[in-house]
Amino acid sequence: MIRQPYDAEKESKVIGKFRTFPSPAAPDGYLPRYDRPVTPRENFISMLKGEAPQWIPNFTYDVQPFCPRVIPDNVARGMVMDAEPMEGLVKGGLDMFGVDWEFEPLVGGSMVKPGNPKCPDICEWEKYITFPDLDKWDWAHASEVNAPYFDGGRIVEFTIFSGLFERLISFLDFEGAAMALLDEDQQEAVHRLFDKLCTFYDEYIGRVKKYFPMVDLICFHDDWGSQRAPFFSLATCREMIVPYMKRIADSCHKNGFFFHLHSCGKNEMIAPAIVESGVDMWIPQPMNDFDYLLRNFYDKLVLSVSPPALTEELDEEAIKEACRKYVESTLVVPKPRVLCFASSALRKYPSVTKMLNYLYPISREYYSKL
Amino acid sequence: MSIVKEIASAVEAGKSKVVGGLVEQALNEGIEPSVILNDGMISAMGIVGEKFKNNEIFVPEMLIAARAMKKGVEVLQPHLAKQGVEPIGKVILGTISGDLHDIGKNLVGMMIEGAGFKVLDLGVDVPPEKFIEVMKENPDCKVVALSALLTSTMPALTSTIKAIEEAGLRDTVKIMVGGAPVTQAFADEIGADGYSEDAASAAELAKKLYGVA
Repeated sequence: MIRQPYDAEKESKVIGKFRTFPSPAAPDGYLPRYDRPVTPRENFISMLKGEAPQWIPNFTYDVQPFCPRVIPDNVARGMVMDAEPMEGLVKGGLDMFGVDWEFEPLVGGSMVKPGNPKCPDICEWEKYITFPDLDKWDWAHASEVNAPYFDGGRIVEFTIFSGLFERLISFLDFEGAAMALLDEDQQEAVHRLFDKLCTFYDEYIGRVKKYFPMVDLICFHDDWGSQRAPFFSLATCREMIVPYMKRIADSCHKNGFFFHLHSCGKNEMIAPAIVESGVDMWIPQPMNDFDYLLRNFYDKLVLSVSPPALTEELDEEAIKEACRKYVESTLVVPKPRVLCFASSALRKYPSVTKMLNYLYPISREYYSKL
Repeated sequence: MSIVKEIASAVEAGKSKVVGGLVEQALNEGIEPSVILNDGMISAMGIVGEKFKNNEIFVPEMLIAARAMKKGVEVLQPHLAKQGVEPIGKVILGTISGDLHDIGKNLVGMMIEGAGFKVLDLGVDVPPEKFIEVMKENPDCKVVALSALLTSTMPALTSTIKAIEEAGLRDTVKIMVGGAPVTQAFADEIGADGYSEDAASAAELAKKLYGVA
């Protein structure tokens, strides 16, 4: 992609609208479209393909998350983002495997109440776990109602809840899942389960392609760590998870999707496994060492660098300065492939929201000179 | 390698299938049950905790080590009872009201148990009244460990400590707190006696609060 010089005045002009799902940020279902050299989608895709972007994408504006309610997991996990009305939607309940999730409104997410796992013995999971029948979901209806909300200007990301380890936890509870990864009496059963899950996800991803062709990116939701360390070692990850992640990545790629791993936790120790899995993008949480990740992996995948936690009310100059520092921190490598993802916890601070508004002009200025 | 060292290695490596047999062998060789417990198993769990803290091993390794120790203790328990060997003390443990998360709490429970305590695990979403009820039933318990994973449930740590105060039991126990959003500063602010940032440190803290560290 040709890097165009930055024209501040021209590029701040609103020249139209992007369609989006109605939300508090866009109550009428539209976002302003600015006169940028390329669309947010084109900028993002060139970055996913290996180029430095023309500006640092702001996830909140440049990406349209898509979690349609036709997928039972999206409702069970309380993460529905689609074109249909939210009124009357009851979050939580059974996921696609019949596991019961409890929605917690204060957190905005769900969890399986621990203590009574669906599968009491992983070695006999076939007795307890029935795979979903994809034909039973009304894909055609979901396709029809959602299609008008995608205009090709922004990246569309479809999230798959839950990934491999999260699915294992949902079946066995956390301790059961963690032990099963290492216990030689249980490992074979885990391989069997993950193998079948990959076959299932392959078919599932194929349906996504068929019914939601506007999707660009598949987000695979699989938390691998706590706030202090990964749950498992790099060796365990390589042995038990990476081979199957590669298959999921292949399923995405053969359908023309990029593959985003959503994996919370301080996971920098297992970043090599993330790369080996064929992941195109990862959004590490703020407790990770971004400098280390960027310097070591910028040429392997797109990384998000969390914006600073500007929890105090700052004046405009201080916010601009924070934004400059943020952008400069990404320029420690020659062709940074960086995304800015601000969590909802950060976005509640006005200074963070204001900083995100400066991200386009400031990063555009710096990145136009790369 | 002595049999006690073999037990320690087996616990550390999580070899739950062999630990029971090794403990039996050690008993047959006339080794004191308390030596098998302390030098064979508790010390092994101490090493596991240290390695976990240093990110040399991770949750699965810690869990299978705890499971292996449990197998050994099952064999050892009747002998310990016969000799009147008691746990170091009791620790009441639970995730506070409104919070369903049990991962950190369970790991803490395992490591505290591995350090030689009896753990009274009250589970998740535990109301203050339940903590108070169990404290009254166990007046010999000197440590209560409270866990919270969510910023939204952190206030329940404060209210649980307050309820224990109002029940007139605050002076009878030391209270330790932990969980992802909890910090030393927060623990100080709410009047807790201790804070630990991981399961291995929690076991050390329990020992310190019991005065046996």
